[in-house]
This record gives sequence, structure tokens and C-alpha cells, in this order.
Amino acid sequence: MNNYFNQTKISWDKYIDFAVNDMINAGIDIISDGQTRDPFVNIFTRKLKGCRIRERTEIIDRIQYFEQITVVDQKYIRNKLTKDKELLGLLTGPYTLTKSSLDLFYNDEKQIAFDFAEALRKEAKNLEKYVDMISIDEPFFSMGVPDYAKELIKITTKDVKCPVRLHCCGDVSCVISELIDMPVDILSHEFKATSKLFDVFKNYNFSKKICLGSVRSDTTKVESIDEIVNHINKGIDIFGEKIVQLAPDCGQRLLPRDVAFQKLKNLVKAYEIVYG
Amino acid sequence: MFSFTEEQKIFEICEIKIGGQPGENPTVLFGGLFFKGEPDFKKAEIEIKKMFEISNKTGIPSIPDFFIKKEEYIDKIIDFITESIPKNQPFSVDIIEPDLKIITLEKLSKKNLLKRTIYNSIHVGIKDEERDALKKNTPEMAVIVAFNPKDKSPDGKIEVLQNGANLTDVGLLEIAKNLGIKKILVDTAAMAPGDYSGAAIAAIPVIKEEFGLPTGCAIHNVVEKSNWLENFSNVKKSVDSASNINIPAFGGDFAIFGPIGNSDLVFPMIAWQDILISEYTENYFGISPEKNHPRRKFF
Repeated sequence: MNNYFNQTKISWDKYIDFAVNDMINAGIDIISDGQTRDPFVNIFTRKLKGCRIRERTEIIDRIQYFEQITVVDQKYIRNKLTKDKELLGLLTGPYTLTKSSLDLFYNDEKQIAFDFAEALRKEAKNLEKYVDMISIDEPFFSMGVPDYAKELIKITTKDVKCPVRLHCCGDVSCVISELIDMPVDILSHEFKATSKLFDVFKNYNFSKKICLGSVRSDTTKVESIDEIVNHINKGIDIFGEKIVQLAPDCGQRLLPRDVAFQKLKNLVKAYEIVYG
Repeated sequence: MFSFTEEQKIFEICEIKIGGQPGENPTVLFGGLFFKGEPDFKKAEIEIKKMFEISNKTGIPSIPDFFIKKEEYIDKIIDFITESIPKNQPFSVDIIEPDLKIITLEKLSKKNLLKRTIYNSIHVGIKDEERDALKKNTPEMAVIVAFNPKDKSPDGKIEVLQNGANLTDVGLLEIAKNLGIKKILVDTAAMAPGDYSGAAIAAIPVIKEEFGLPTGCAIHNVVEKSNWLENFSNVKKSVDSASNINIPAFGGDFAIFGPIGNSDLVFPMIAWQDILISEYTENYFGISPEKNHPRRKFF
């Protein structure tokens, strides 16, 4: 679209470039779009039928998939990446979208969540053509997993052929039994900020792979390489070869850009020390 | 024809009232003085005079809208306003470049013209320097353009007004309030044809119902950017002028109607539309037209 005032073309690409280039320059292997366009809920609800954005997202009609949401940006990034890098598609999960929105139409939270899941499934099917993996972001699970949560994730990922990761930040120690039962390939949690998760996970037998949150996203203090190495080794003691990814605990949206970059750089150096 | 449930604010500048329920106040028309290159003030004076005459004849209030594109024109335009525009007449300054906005505010203040000034416009591109200038030299009234590059729908326009769509720290309405601007006009940001242009009209009743603020737009922008209309060049001026009827028809309060030279067509059209609306809204909703409303010319 054009700028209203001077009719120059408006493009968001430079902001995506900032995020992608920082990840590449830090040495990260699995690249995302950085979710620079909007807060992680608005990115999706802005383009879903039945939603409108006010102070929060408001649901004013039946939720339906209307147009591709993140696919254009993923295509743009795919063309920039070298073959040794992987691309991560990001979906904000149906339960989190539900809990973040104000219902003015359904009066039925479960139905909202299922309609979000159905809409997200369509986006996931479009996304899988361009990305190597899809990550579903469900922070609200840390405050309680509804009894229909597994069904929601199942619908969201139905017929999706690429691997799927479930990212759930916060203290998930009370809901681990539900999380390890989810129909996904990898579980991603903030092990750095919530180190007690190591002890809680010890009590469970599970076959899922782990994305180990290894630098905090909620503090500007940059962890030293040694500190991250120790953290990873602690994770290896408990999860062993189940660890297939190292990542920041959560999105780095609230960190200054230079701090976020340094954290990523140290994370990569720590990885190289531990895994060679 | 309809009435809003939300209380509608009416703002006054030099006795011109803008806002209210449909049928209450006449639609206010802003006639643009674009000045291609060096301003031609002789021509401007004639066109402004013609606009004021037809404004008096129809009962539709008029405001000259001065485009300022270069720094060297600022003093000349302000001198022209001081010398040639009646002292009780408001005017607007329409400036894109932030630096020119800041200088113009300073100069308007020095000439004691801020009480008559409508600042066109505040939008999501506002920088700290412009905020400081507006705080220091606060105009009587400002146009806020509800342009949301993320979402061109009426909802997107509400979003920038309400919370800035994460493009500004707070919503544009709060920014204006924090700057001490009490009289706000909302411009719904008419986009080019094919770029959700109709949303500017559809947004008028939505924004008025949500905020109760005087609302309108420059629907002329849509016509100006249309290549398709070039196939019908003999009616382009008519289409341009007639497009403005949409604004009062959708409950709007003002139209930034494009070249001031179109006054001869736009004013009677809008007066006619205002009369139609008033005839219904007074009978059905009990909204009496103000004393200068075009319909009073028929009483």
C-alpha cells in the first residue's frame, strides 16, 4: 500500500530484515520472521474474519480464515536464506488467541478456541510449503491446560507435514503431564528463567524432543558464555539427546536490540563449546 | 439518514461550528489552495472571495486550506493570510514535511494567528520535535488523520486513534490531548482507488459513534488518484464535487474538497444534501438545524 501523505510505497521488509539479519549474524541456524509487524496476538487476529482490534482483540462474529497471514513474509525470508539455514513458521496458538480476546459474539469459550484452531490449521497448511518447522505459541497453557487442549493442537496441526514445536513459556511445572501428551514433536520451555522445570521434568518419562530455553528474555542482563554452557550441560544431564534445539526462553521483543543480539551470540558460542 | 447514540461534540472556531448530530450543523467545507510552484496570491484572492460568496449564499461554512510545500513560502502565505483573509475567518495549514510544520507553528504564533488556525495534520508519523512545537505553539484546532498502514479498514482507523496500533506510544487522540489540543477533527484518510478507498466513508459513522468527534475526510484524494476517471475527463470535476455528498450522507461533518476552484459546484451540492438530511432528521429525531444551516434559507 501507499503512504497516505506522500504516496510512497510502504514496505515492512526493512523491519523483517533487521530481525532476520541479526539472527543470521549471531549465527542462529533456525530463523524466524521476528514477529515485528505486530504483537503476537494482533498479527493473527488482524487478518481473521470475525475479529477486530480495539484496546484488545474483540470477537464480533464467527472466526474464519480469510487470507494468508504470515505466508508472504515467510516467502520473503526463504528467498534470503542460504541452504544451511532453516525457517521457522510461528503461530500463536488457539487457546492463547482465545484468552487474549474479548468475546462479544460467541458466549462459548471452547467454541472460540476451536474456531481459532480451524483457522490456524489453514494458515499452517499454507505455511508448511515454505517453512521447515512450525512453532505454536501457547503461553496461556502455563496458567492451566483446558481438557480440550490436546484436541485444539490436533486440529491446528492436522495433516501438517513439517515438524511441529509447542512453545509454552512461564512456569509450566503444574501442567507437564498434559504437555508431554500433546501431538507435537518438540516441547519448548523457558528453562533459564524457571530452572525448577529441570527437577520437575525429571519425574516424567516421555519421548518428545526438547527445545531448551537457555537465555532469559525478561532481563537485560546478558548471560556469559560460561553461564550458558553450564545451563546446557545441566539440561543434557536430564534430557540427554532429547535436546534438539537451543533458544532464548521466549521472544526478545522487550529487549533492546543490542542486548538481544548479544544474548543470541553468546548462545551460539555456548552451543559450539558444548556440541562442537 | 440516522442519528448517533453517542453524544456528539461540537467544536467552534471563530464562530464556525463543526460536529454534532446529522442535520444539526451544516457540513463545513475546506477549499484547497495548492499553489503549484510560487504562490499566485492574486488568483488565490479571487478564488477565496468566490468561495466566501457562495458560502454566504448557501449557508455552508468555508475554510481556506493552505498547502505549504517549501520554507520560502511560509512567510508569504502567512502575510497573505494576515492581509487578505477577514480577521474572524479561520484557516487551515496543510503541511507534510515535519520541519516546515514546526517553523510554520512558530511563525503563526508570532503573528497571533493560532486562535484561527486549524493544524492539518497530526498522524502516526508524528515525531518528538513536532510534539514539542505543538505544545509550545498550540493551534486552536487540529485535524487528526486516522491513517493506519497496517489496516485500512474502519477498525484499523479506530485502532490508530485509540492506541496507535503500536506505531505511536499512545493513541493519536491521547497524543493530541497531551499536547493541549482541545478541538479535534478526525480525517478518515481516503486512500487511492483500489486501496480500500470506500473505507474512508464507511469509517465516518463508525468513528462518530465510537468517539463522538467531528469527522470527515478528503474524498477528493480518491478522485485525484483515479486513472480510470481520465476516460471521462468531461465529468471529472462533477464526480470530484459530487463525491463529497457521501460525507454528510454518512453522518460526516466536514469535507476537504480539493481545489478551491471547485467551490461553485461543491457548495450548492453539499447545501442541497444538508437540506435533505435536515428535513428528515428534524422530523424523525427532533434535531433542529442551527440558525445558519442551509435549510434555514428556506424557512
